[in-house]
Amino acid sequence: MKRVLNILLIISIILLIFTDCKKSPHYRALIITGQNSTDWVASTPVLKQILEKTGIFECSILISPTPGGEWDKFRPAWDKYNLVVLNYNGEKWPETIRNGFISYVNNGGGVLVYHSASIAFPDWKEYNEICGISGWDNRSEKDGPYIYFRGNRMVLDSSAGPAGWHGEPREFEVRIRNTEHPVTRGLPVRWMHAKDLLYARLRGPAKNMEVLATAYCDTTGGGTGRDEPVMMAITYGKGRVFHTTLGFPGDGTSPALQCAGFITTLQRGAEWAASGKVTQPVPRDFPTVSGVVLRTEMKPITLKEEIENLAKYEIGMSTRYYTGLQDRIKKAAGDPDKLLEIEKMMVKLLENDKATIESKKLVLRELSWMGTDYCIPTIKKLQENAELKDEVDFALERLGVK
Amino acid sequence: MKSSRRKFLKKAASAVTGTLVFPYIIPSSSLGLGGETPPSEKILMGVIGTGSQGMSNMRSFMRLKDQVRFVALCDVDAKRLEAAKAVVDKVNRSNDCRIYGDFREFLEKEKLDAVLIAIPDHWHGIIYTAAANKKLDVYGEKPICRTINDGKVIVQAVKKNGIIWQTGSWQRSEANFHRGAELVINGRIGKVKYIEVGLPDGVRGIGTPPVQEVPEGLDWEMWLGPALKVPYRGVCHWNWRWILDYSGGQLTDWAGHHVDIANWGTGLEYTGPVEIEGTGFYPYDGIYNAPVEYDITCKFANGIIMRIANASRLPKGMGTVWYGDLGWIHVDRGNRISASDPKILEETIGENEIHLYKSTDHFQNFIDCVRTRKEAIAPIEPAYRAISTALLGEIAMTTGQKIYWDPEKEEIIGNPNASRLLGRPYRKPWTLPEV
Repeated sequence: MKRVLNILLIISIILLIFTDCKKSPHYRALIITGQNSTDWVASTPVLKQILEKTGIFECSILISPTPGGEWDKFRPAWDKYNLVVLNYNGEKWPETIRNGFISYVNNGGGVLVYHSASIAFPDWKEYNEICGISGWDNRSEKDGPYIYFRGNRMVLDSSAGPAGWHGEPREFEVRIRNTEHPVTRGLPVRWMHAKDLLYARLRGPAKNMEVLATAYCDTTGGGTGRDEPVMMAITYGKGRVFHTTLGFPGDGTSPALQCAGFITTLQRGAEWAASGKVTQPVPRDFPTVSGVVLRTEMKPITLKEEIENLAKYEIGMSTRYYTGLQDRIKKAAGDPDKLLEIEKMMVKLLENDKATIESKKLVLRELSWMGTDYCIPTIKKLQENAELKDEVDFALERLGVK
Repeated sequence: MKSSRRKFLKKAASAVTGTLVFPYIIPSSSLGLGGETPPSEKILMGVIGTGSQGMSNMRSFMRLKDQVRFVALCDVDAKRLEAAKAVVDKVNRSNDCRIYGDFREFLEKEKLDAVLIAIPDHWHGIIYTAAANKKLDVYGEKPICRTINDGKVIVQAVKKNGIIWQTGSWQRSEANFHRGAELVINGRIGKVKYIEVGLPDGVRGIGTPPVQEVPEGLDWEMWLGPALKVPYRGVCHWNWRWILDYSGGQLTDWAGHHVDIANWGTGLEYTGPVEIEGTGFYPYDGIYNAPVEYDITCKFANGIIMRIANASRLPKGMGTVWYGDLGWIHVDRGNRISASDPKILEETIGENEIHLYKSTDHFQNFIDCVRTRKEAIAPIEPAYRAISTALLGEIAMTTGQKIYWDPEKEEIIGNPNASRLLGRPYRKPWTLPEV
C-alpha cells in the first residue's frame, strides 16, 4: 500500500512538473465583438493572438447578432471566464445580458475595454462606470467631468461640452503616470507609440479609476493641448477593469496594433484584470522615447537567431540584434554560465568567415569586458586581419592579454 | 612674459592669504588708457574646442573684458575655428588671434596663462592631462572624464602640476544651489538620509543613418582620436553625447551638475558610493545608444542613499532633493529652491557654522583664482567624484549587476568584468600622457 502511495506521489510530482513546464493557460478570456465602429473583423483575431502569445490566456470569441438580429441566441457564459475583452460598440445588449455582465464584474470578473469599446452604451450607467471615462454618442457634462492631466496632477474638469474627439492618426509619446501599478511597473516612463488615433476629451464618472498613462494631444486640427488619459485601471465591485484607448485597428495591419508598447500593455493589462497581478517580464523590445518599435513577428528570438542576424550587420542597418545581444549580457547579470553560453556564440560569429567585419567589430567590443579565456585564442587569430586591428587591440588590451 | 607674471601673481597671492577680497583690479581708467586695461595685465587665454559650449564659455569670459584676452584657438573643425576667430578678433580689435587644428601644436607653441577646454568626453583624458602638464590653469567642461581610469589620471595631473582648475559646474556659483547646500550641510533638515537627483530624459533617436561624406573642414580622424574608428554618419557636434563611445548620455552629461550639488551639501565631495545598482532603458535600434532612461541607487559608507534617475521617473523631477529626518530641500535651475517647510529657507547660518565657498560668478571666480592661486569653487576632485558615481551607475546598468566600490582605493571589489569597464583602451597611437 505504502509503495503504491509512493508511486502515486512520484507520478503526481512528475505531472506537476510537466504541467508547469508546458505553461498551460491559466486564464480563459472571452472576446465579445460583432458590432463596432472600427473594423472588428480585422481587430478580433489580432487581439486573440496578442493575448494567447502570453501563454497564459486561452481566448474564445463571441460574435453578437448584427443590428436588429436575434439576441436570444447571444448567451455569454460569464462564469467560464476570467476575462471579458470588449471589442464592441453598437446595439444595446438586452437587459438579461447586461445584468449578467454586471454581476460577472461585481463578482470579481476581469474586463478589458479595448479602444472603440469605450464608446459603447452611452445610456447604460453601470457600463460607463466600468469604463471610467468614455466619449461620443451625445455624452456631455451630464456623464461626468473631463479627465486629463496638468503637470503631474489629474484634473477633473466639469465644464460643459461634448465628449470624445480625435484627430488624424499619428505617432505620439505615451507617458506612464503610475509607475507602481502592476501593469506599468518596470516600464520606461516615456515611450513612442506607433501611428494611432489619440482619443481626447473623454469624460465620465471616473469612479475608482486610476490613470496609468497619458499622451499629449497637440492642438493640430482642434486638438486639446492636454495630456489625455490612454490607459486606465478601474475597480468595480470585486472586478478589475483595464481600459486602453489605444489600438486603432484600421484593416488589422495598422501600426498601432504592431507597436511593442501597445502589445505589451494590452497583455499586462489583461493579466492584471484577470488576476490582480502581472507575472510577465518587460520585453526587451519595449519602446522608449528613442522611437517606435514595431513587432511584426510575435515569436521571441533565440540567441542563435540573434547571432545569425547580427552576423549580417553592416553600417546603416538596424542595430536591434546588437542591442539584443547587449541586453542578453545585461540580463545574465554576471552569471558565469549564462555569460559563457553567450560568449561561445559570439566566438562562433568571430570564427564565421561569412560574418561581416562590422558584426565582428561589435562582438569584439562586448567581449573586451565580458569575455573569458575561452575567447582569447580566437581573438588572437584575428590579429592578422587588418580590418579588425583596432578592435582586436582594444579587446586584448582590456582583457589583459599582453 | 608669462612666467614672470605668473610669479608675480603667485607672490601677490601669498601676500594676501586670508584676505577675503583681493582688490587686484586696478580701474583701467586710472591708467589713462581710455577705459582699457593694458593687454599685458590681462590673463592670456586660449580655447580648445570652439563648439557651442566652448563659444558660450568664451563669451562669458569676454564679459570680463578688462581681465581676459583670448589669443589662441584650437578646433578640429576649420569652419568653427574661423567663426570663433572672427568673434575673438572683433573683441580684441585685431586679427592676431592664432588658430590650430591640433591641440599638440597649440600646447607646444602657445604661451598662455589659462585655457578653456570644451571638447567631447572621450578626449578629456588626453587633453586635460596634457594641458595640466603644460602648467596651464584650466577651465574644463564636465563631465571631466569618460571613464574612471581617465579621471584618476586627470586628478593626479591637476594636483601634481599645481594648476588652478575650474570645472564647468557653474551651478555652484548660483545663489540657490549654494544656499540649499549650505542649509543642508548645517543640518537644517536634520540628518540627511536620502537624496534624489533628477537629470534629463534621453532624446528621440534618428535611426541608423548611412555613411556620409565628412563635411569640409572637419578632421574626422582627429575628432575620433582615441575612440574606435567609425565612418562619419552625420553625427558629430553636440549629438555625440547620445553615443556611448563619446559620452554616457544625459546621465553623465548632467551628473557633473546635480550630483555635484548633492555631494556639496552632504560633504560627499571627496568620497564615492560603496554600493551601486541601476536599471537603464536603452534605445532598441539606432546610432544613438546611450540610455534614454536610467534609475540608479547608490549607498554611501555613512548610510546615505542617493537615487539618480531621469527626471520623469522622480516625483520632484529635475534637480537635487535632500531628504533629512527633519524635512527636505529641493534645488533646481532657474533659481529654484523649495523646502518641506518654507521657514527652513529663512534660516540664517551662524558665524561658527559651515560656510560653503561663495562665488557669484563662475568665470570671475576662475580668473580670481588664476591670480590669487586660491582653489576655485569647482575643483577637480569633487568633479571626478560626481562623475564617477554616474560612471559606476553606467557600469551597474551595463553588467546588470550590483557594483561594490572602494572609494578610498578607487577600485571595484570582486568583479573583474565590471573592473574592465573602469577604463577603455585608446586607439593607437593615442595614449594618456604621463603625469
